[in-house]
Amino acid sequence: MPKHVELDASPQPTLLRALTLLTGLGFLATLYLGLFVAGTDIQQGEIQRIFYIHMPSFFGAFTAFGATVVGGMLYLARKQAAWDRIALAGAEVGLAFALINLLTGAVWARPIWNTWWTWDPRLTSAAVMCLIYAAYLMLRAGIDDSNQKRNFMSVYGIFAFVSVLTTLFIIRIVPETIHPVIVGASPQNAQGSFEATSGVFMALAPSMLLWLTLMPATLIWHRYRLETRREALERLKFQALGD
Amino acid sequence: MMMKLAGLASVLLCLLLISGGAGGSDHDETVPYLRTGGFNVPVLAGWENQSTDEIAQFHLAEHSATIRTAIVALDDPLAASQAELANWIDAGSVSPVYSGKVNLADGTWHVAIFEPDADISVSIMARRVGERTVVISFIERDESNRILMLTMAQEDESQRRAHTELVAATDLLMSPLAGEHGRVSEIKLSSGAWALYPGAGHTRMGMVFGNDSFLALAKGPIGVKLATLADAYFTVLLGFFITPDNSGYLALGLAAAFVTLGLLVFSYFWRARSLDQDAALIRHLARADD
Repeated sequence: MPKHVELDASPQPTLLRALTLLTGLGFLATLYLGLFVAGTDIQQGEIQRIFYIHMPSFFGAFTAFGATVVGGMLYLARKQAAWDRIALAGAEVGLAFALINLLTGAVWARPIWNTWWTWDPRLTSAAVMCLIYAAYLMLRAGIDDSNQKRNFMSVYGIFAFVSVLTTLFIIRIVPETIHPVIVGASPQNAQGSFEATSGVFMALAPSMLLWLTLMPATLIWHRYRLETRREALERLKFQALGD
Repeated sequence: MMMKLAGLASVLLCLLLISGGAGGSDHDETVPYLRTGGFNVPVLAGWENQSTDEIAQFHLAEHSATIRTAIVALDDPLAASQAELANWIDAGSVSPVYSGKVNLADGTWHVAIFEPDADISVSIMARRVGERTVVISFIERDESNRILMLTMAQEDESQRRAHTELVAATDLLMSPLAGEHGRVSEIKLSSGAWALYPGAGHTRMGMVFGNDSFLALAKGPIGVKLATLADAYFTVLLGFFITPDNSGYLALGLAAAFVTLGLLVFSYFWRARSLDQDAALIRHLARADD
């Protein structure tokens, strides 16, 4: 049994505290802009306001999954466990954001497309993307050897990003989609598109900024610290078992 | 590190927006709409806007015509039409000189034409919406020009110019004038392509849209005036829509987002708490071991 049981539970850095506060306030502010400042779409009604979470959440997932790619690449190059922790945190946060994107999209589709779900290229690729990252987390939990796990998951995380890019660009490649494009001309079959007026951008821009930067950064940092503590505890447990 | 990641994501987003923007937009022209009383109608250019918070009303003094849209708190379209008629005449209940039903894309509309006095004719289309009825009226106050607007289901699909329905409506509503017409001309208006049937004693216009014929009938050779009025009335009728009340779905979507985000944040606290408990247990065991 270890004589000195020390677990890394250092207080949160001031920067992280400030970032958390800023993110929380930013979340409330963008919510206010989307719900109360942006105008109501006269054709779609109130449900169109879900757009101010639906699209930014995808780009938040994009940033988080990007962290998984960068973390994986740097782990493979430098073999430092910290990069693997960032990759894991990115996958977990990104999956949560991607689920928000998928769920809000389904709720939006019900009154506008008259269905919760359709096997549209964009929807299908988004669902596959979620499954790929859910598999990332499950596979990771199933590998015991730390080094083998980190190597394998780094490679997996890099290749999994193809599903993110596919989801992002598929509506500009496959014309048989009913999912509208916000910037530029929508496909001919698009249903539920709306004018991206200055009012829409006024509410969208802060929300995009928040979900692209502050939210993934804050949540990934918190998750990184949690993983650092978990790994430290694991080492203690092994040490205890060794004694 | 995080700033670099955010910067990379921002650059990618900018590239995406730029590439999308290069394609241009197909929606550069926006039809001006008036939103009032829980519904939306196109704004009629050149007409005096007399709308309030409850109704949409446009008036063209030059032709003594008014187009009014209102939602009436009655679930019977005929009763709702008569209630709207009461805004224009002092008399009590007036029976329509013509009534019928027609199925348009947004539901079943009840057509009614009232002629309570010699100097006023009111053409109404009404559709039940839940417990209420939307009523779109065309009111014309000119004794010398009797102008009627109506819609009928298309009986003969080979007649692209709604001729069959025009003859039927003319026989029914303007029987002394039925039959003859001059050279048919086609005119393109903002509401669609219309066939204009000028005649010595009357003018008729017809447009086929979907499975229905939209008709405008007038006493006297008043082609341009009739075209203006018919285009305005049917622009309002075809452009009318009610903004759906789907705030419940918005609440559901927000709840889904909050629950997902909340579960993630809660799991952080829960896992941190579990780590603390495990660490406390190891400390306890370590002390017991000592």
